[in-house]
Amino acid sequence: MLIMNNIKKVFRTDLVETHALRDFSLEVNEGEFVAVTGPSGSGKTTFLNITGMLETFDGGSYSLDGKDVSQLNDNQRSQLRNEKIGFIFQSFNLIPDLNLFDNVDVPLRYRGFSAKDRKQRIENALERVGLSARMKHLPSQLSGGQQQRVAIARALAGEPRFLLADEPTGNLDSLMARQVMQLLEEINQQGTTVIMVTHDAELARRAQRNIHIVDGQVSDYQKLQPVLNVAEPETASA
Amino acid sequence: MFTYYLKLSWLSIKRTPMITALMVIAIGMGIGVSMTVLTVNYLMGKDPIPSKSGELFHVQLYTYGEGMGNSRVDDEFPYQVTYQDGMNLHQSDIPTRKTRSLATGFSVIPTKADQTPFLESARAIDSDFFAMFKIPFIYGEVWNKTVDVSPKNVIVIGKELNEKIFSGENSVGREINLGGDLFTVVGVIDDWQPTPRFYDLNNGSFNSSERLFLPFSLLPVLELPSWGNNNGWKTEIINTYEDRLRSESLWNQYWVELNTSKQKEEYIDWIDGYISEQKKLERFTHEKAGVSLKNVTQWLNYNTVVSSDNSILVGLAFMFLAVCMINTLGLLLSKFLNRAPEIGVRRALGASRRTIFFQHLVDVGIIGLAGGLVGLGLSQIGLMGVKSLYSDYNDLVQMDMTLMIGSITIAIISSVLAGMYPAWVICKTNPSVYLKIQ
Repeated sequence: MLIMNNIKKVFRTDLVETHALRDFSLEVNEGEFVAVTGPSGSGKTTFLNITGMLETFDGGSYSLDGKDVSQLNDNQRSQLRNEKIGFIFQSFNLIPDLNLFDNVDVPLRYRGFSAKDRKQRIENALERVGLSARMKHLPSQLSGGQQQRVAIARALAGEPRFLLADEPTGNLDSLMARQVMQLLEEINQQGTTVIMVTHDAELARRAQRNIHIVDGQVSDYQKLQPVLNVAEPETASA
Repeated sequence: MFTYYLKLSWLSIKRTPMITALMVIAIGMGIGVSMTVLTVNYLMGKDPIPSKSGELFHVQLYTYGEGMGNSRVDDEFPYQVTYQDGMNLHQSDIPTRKTRSLATGFSVIPTKADQTPFLESARAIDSDFFAMFKIPFIYGEVWNKTVDVSPKNVIVIGKELNEKIFSGENSVGREINLGGDLFTVVGVIDDWQPTPRFYDLNNGSFNSSERLFLPFSLLPVLELPSWGNNNGWKTEIINTYEDRLRSESLWNQYWVELNTSKQKEEYIDWIDGYISEQKKLERFTHEKAGVSLKNVTQWLNYNTVVSSDNSILVGLAFMFLAVCMINTLGLLLSKFLNRAPEIGVRRALGASRRTIFFQHLVDVGIIGLAGGLVGLGLSQIGLMGVKSLYSDYNDLVQMDMTLMIGSITIAIISSVLAGMYPAWVICKTNPSVYLKIQ
């Protein structure tokens, strides 16, 4: 379970102070599929980075699976991230000179699994995304959709509780985007909590819950409804 | 994890071969120059006989007259002793071993028809010399102790000379013609080249050791010439060799082996008694008249075998290494920052800052290792250059295992030190900045 209360995040330069998130509160239950939408610069990615503990925050509280994130040091945050969170990015972010096997291996290495265990997990993860036959290929030898599937395999190999996806279909054509979305839905159905940032209203509609962020705050649902053209969900957003 | 870091380092090198090559060359040059200078300096100052250096003492007697002294050293003691003092010191049975020593030489007249006579330096010594300085024999042994008193034309030769004259055979019992006198070979010693040549620093600290060793007792019989330094401080009329032996001229060396401090104290007392006797005979008239015993290390320091100039040179060489490492630091910073997006991904996938930091230190360690190996090769070239410029340093061009391991270690440590800042910078980078834009 993920609970954020009154999270504040300010980016400061010598001249400018930007409030990326203001009193941002949210609860995400286990097994949910949450889509996060909002205009550019509204704080979606900052929210995702704080959720993934890649950014610190300046105020409020954040608890992930009962652990108060603000009390953890870098090592503990990294360990928690490695164990509980999988990331999927818009630009896939595969390491170009590692083959698919080694790319999927990266988070497992930091987890400290044995070689045998890692091999098993990598093979399973790549099989799940339909790329087990291409383990020795480099990312550059794959299409965009295939690369994103490898990124999903990498995110899933460690069996995380949360999958954070930052515009996972942003660089894909509509066919590929549908395939990736379908995969995310399958993953969610198997119990993984998915939080997906997207600009795509159609994809957002397929999520169980939608969060709309405007100016660093969760917008109220009425403002969101005309954008998404969906009925009010039963689980109210924070 | 370490093997994983090694794998990543290899990938990193393959990804940026040019920048890696530049770093390896920079480190290699720094190590090459600094290790060349350090090797020469280290070998100049190293203990040439570590197992016994504390038990072997060079004897100095202050035999100068009033108003005289050796201005080159603080205590003004002469480096050498007179022949008569050497003879008198030899009367004491307190030292475990003792030897007089004189640099001399001969014209060697070979028996082989195809060889022409050649000059060869030699050393007149007592039989204890070989055991004192741990000189290994290949064939035969040293002459009998009685020869130290009753001279006999016997000789110990070096391995190289044995090769030259006797084609490397066991030449014990064979004769060798030295300046017209026939000598019987009693022993052949293995290669022996103490560096520095501590037993006679007065005649070239880094000269080659002699290859001919004959009994000191032959000195008055054959009227052996001195091929070393002769320090005369007193106006004396010397017409005959006999005059020379009786003179106050300083041209011999004297070494003793004293195994305990008690033995050393007794020996000093004995020499003090000898000095008192000599004073009564109106020798040793200077108020400083006395004795000084210096062990091998003290003797090397006393003679400033490694001059302060060398230390300055070592300092400059390491400053050059520092400049090379600063350049490497800049290249590392550039290389690492280019990898920031990948590091962002790794951080997102669970790598901690500490993990990233160590990954990069392994990276620079590998580059340092490669630089160290290149530097080792360059330092060998540097040492050959030293050899070609200074013939005295012929024996200093060999890098021993300590120096080789030292080179690699210095290269790795200095690289890791240079890499710490870039590694710190990259592990402190906010990963989220790169995840969006990669």
